[in-house]
Amino acid sequence: METKLQIHDTGNGYPGDQQLLRLRRASSGQSHQNYPQFNQNSDPTEEEEEGVEEVDSSGPNVELRNTPLPMAIKRAVWKSQQMQDNRASSSKSWKQKNKKSLRNLRSITREAGQFFTLWGKSLQLIGGNFGGGVQSYFLFLRFLVILNFFSCLLIAGFVLIPSIIFRSVGTSLENSTGPEECMKYDPNPPGLVLFYNYFLDLLSGTGFMEYSYLFYGYYNNTQVAEESFSYNIPLAYLFTAVFYFAFCLICLIIRMGNAARVAVATGGSAVGSYSMIIFTGWDYGCLGDQATRLKQKNIHYQLQVDLEEEALSRRAASLTACQKIVHYTLRVVTFLIALGLNAAAFYGIFEATNFSQQNSGRAGFLGLFFEYLPSIAITTANFVVPLLCDQFALIERYSPSTTVILVLLRAVFLRLLSLGVLILTLWQQITCDGNANSRDCSLCKYNNKDYPCWETRVGQEMYKLTLFDFLVNLAVLVLVEFPRRIVVDHCPNKLVQWFGRQEFAVPHNVLGLVYGQTVVWTGALFCPLLPVINTIKFVILFYCKKITLFHNCRPALKTFRSTTSTIYFLVTLVFGWGLATVVMIYSLAEIQPSMGCGPFRFFPTMWSIVPTSFYNLSAVTQDFLFFIGSQAFSIPLFVFSCVVMCYFIALAAVYGKSVALLRTQLKLEGRDKKFLVRQIEELSRQLERPNANSGAHS
Amino acid sequence: MGNKQTTFTDEQLEAFQDCTFFTRKEILRLHARFRELAPHLVPLDFTNNPDVRVPPTLVVTMPELKENPFRDRIVATFSEDGLGNLSFNDFVDMFSALCELSPRELKTIYAFKIYDFNRDDFICEDDLQQTLNKLTKGELTAEEVTLVCQKVIEEADLDGDRKLSFSDFQNMISKAPDFLSNFHIRI
Repeated sequence: METKLQIHDTGNGYPGDQQLLRLRRASSGQSHQNYPQFNQNSDPTEEEEEGVEEVDSSGPNVELRNTPLPMAIKRAVWKSQQMQDNRASSSKSWKQKNKKSLRNLRSITREAGQFFTLWGKSLQLIGGNFGGGVQSYFLFLRFLVILNFFSCLLIAGFVLIPSIIFRSVGTSLENSTGPEECMKYDPNPPGLVLFYNYFLDLLSGTGFMEYSYLFYGYYNNTQVAEESFSYNIPLAYLFTAVFYFAFCLICLIIRMGNAARVAVATGGSAVGSYSMIIFTGWDYGCLGDQATRLKQKNIHYQLQVDLEEEALSRRAASLTACQKIVHYTLRVVTFLIALGLNAAAFYGIFEATNFSQQNSGRAGFLGLFFEYLPSIAITTANFVVPLLCDQFALIERYSPSTTVILVLLRAVFLRLLSLGVLILTLWQQITCDGNANSRDCSLCKYNNKDYPCWETRVGQEMYKLTLFDFLVNLAVLVLVEFPRRIVVDHCPNKLVQWFGRQEFAVPHNVLGLVYGQTVVWTGALFCPLLPVINTIKFVILFYCKKITLFHNCRPALKTFRSTTSTIYFLVTLVFGWGLATVVMIYSLAEIQPSMGCGPFRFFPTMWSIVPTSFYNLSAVTQDFLFFIGSQAFSIPLFVFSCVVMCYFIALAAVYGKSVALLRTQLKLEGRDKKFLVRQIEELSRQLERPNANSGAHS
Repeated sequence: MGNKQTTFTDEQLEAFQDCTFFTRKEILRLHARFRELAPHLVPLDFTNNPDVRVPPTLVVTMPELKENPFRDRIVATFSEDGLGNLSFNDFVDMFSALCELSPRELKTIYAFKIYDFNRDDFICEDDLQQTLNKLTKGELTAEEVTLVCQKVIEEADLDGDRKLSFSDFQNMISKAPDFLSNFHIRI
């Protein structure tokens, strides 16, 4: 008699786990029988046949490779399946041929994918030696490189190459009227140009670099309209910029979706769950004995942190009311101090930008220093303010995990807002505080005296920021990290050894990447070649960071959880994208484009080219687009999307409820199982006793 | 493809491809690695399915397994005799179950077997203590170890029998986001 107790069939089509565990266990020779009603045979051939029958009966959809059977049994099953297929009808053999060709195709694509994956081997090495947290930084960097590469293909294809073609062909500009003053724009100052000026111009984007394809000012508003071919450069420029932002957002969302799926499925459980640390904490891909020792220390550290957090929460719960008030007041005070420090930093950046803009005409290296003053101010602020705020963390006494999140949030806030302050200052200067009637802006609606071509100037600022960020990274590498390693390796001083080699600080580096990418997004409208520069910058950064990682860094004691941290990186990147989108939308819709340069020179706003070109389309297209924009289409569309959203929300709620129900069912089944086992044991004992009695008597 | 390898017949390679997550090339590479472990024991020609088993002391010298604290348990779980002697079938099976493409359900089943030291289909407190000691190499004090094991049982045990059955384990693993990426040996 075989009563198999199946706990919750997995529903995949293959037999319940109890039976398969029994198969493997029986074939491994040792069998501790928990439940007396299990099948007692351990004959291997019978096991094989049973395995064959069970797998076969669950249908041909079962993939052999997904079953937890021993390999010998799997091969026997496969052989029997092959024999069945050979005897099968012609339609089935056609299906077999299809399956075989599909499998070949799959293996070829997998090998091609491995070949084309950028830096696959390096990432594997990094992950094995330094863990998932550091690897997630490099994965993020690789994602940004690929994103930037496809963006520059986009921009090159639609804006750069047509501009080059039309300029070399020599299509003339469209003439239009406008105030004479506003159209004056002379980027190449006359006179002798000294040799070192080329170098200075390269660094600050002025001079020979200003009037080039790098910046907005060089592009013309050519609108070619021949019989078979028409191309509207301003329209292409605008649509490429808009599509570039949309493309980046879609890529970000897809990548976030992949990471979020894992996080949602796992329920977003609390950090530091003991069972998870023990069962999933060890990275089986860990290589090298130094990494292993550190991994062990890391797990030990994580457990200690959790035990400490518990002790802390118990202590916090036992505080008296008076102590609680003191505690919270301290937290409010430190928050205000941090806010004050941030405000001071922003004011410093504001002043630096104003000073730099007013002294922008200076020549020589002093002029270069003034040009780079905003970048220097931003970098200094982003270095000093977090350092000071970290000291407050000791007073605040949040739990360790909350501290990490708070530090990150503050750093993100500081970085993105400092960029925002810079842009705001520029806007103030260009549009005279938004006051169109002030003295400088009354003629052309922007400050044409200081900014004959304001878009190029904004592009130059972004170019300088990118370049400075890159140079600072390289300088820190060469001047700080390598010397530190040399000092630590050769100086036996105890203080130096306690200081030690540095760790690879993942959050700090990721914020650097997010900042760099935000600058590129903000500047892409004004400096179309900025994504190209950024791609090259990130590629060089990858190799530099890899070199410094392997030569100068030791694996971190406190690690980053790799799966959930990817989502945080991407969310931060979306914030940066949001900031850049706000800038782009405002520049497109509100500010008067320069009249002396650029493809939009005779339009009231950049966006106004769209309605103008709209009326050049055919009547059918116009009617179609009007229809899409009208209420007859958009209201039903809105209602339909509401219905779809409600459906998904209801589905999610139902799944959540069924998960809770199944969990209680699991508990109840466990209790039933224990009860039945006890009953069976009692019954078997009662059966044995009469037998023993009758045996004793006879 | 014109590869004139004589290690396996085409049928054997197809069987391996269907039963594991590896491609043809990877299976041949695995055979080379298997042979590296014991060149005098493992023949070059597997076409007639020789019954060769490599002892566990040689298998755990592989760089992928050398530093893993659970290497003995992994090798023992995938061996047919339960003592760690791996045939080539078991060798390929082991790396296939732990590779990147292996699904979560399969990995969960094998993880449970690996952590079940006394092989009674339950992870009891004793198994947990052994797991923890292997993980931290004895850095925690005895009372910390007991405390952590009690916490684990509190968190994961659903049916209240003070040990983890497979469904408890599976339920707990399903909430762990790092499980798939950590339970993965690259070969």
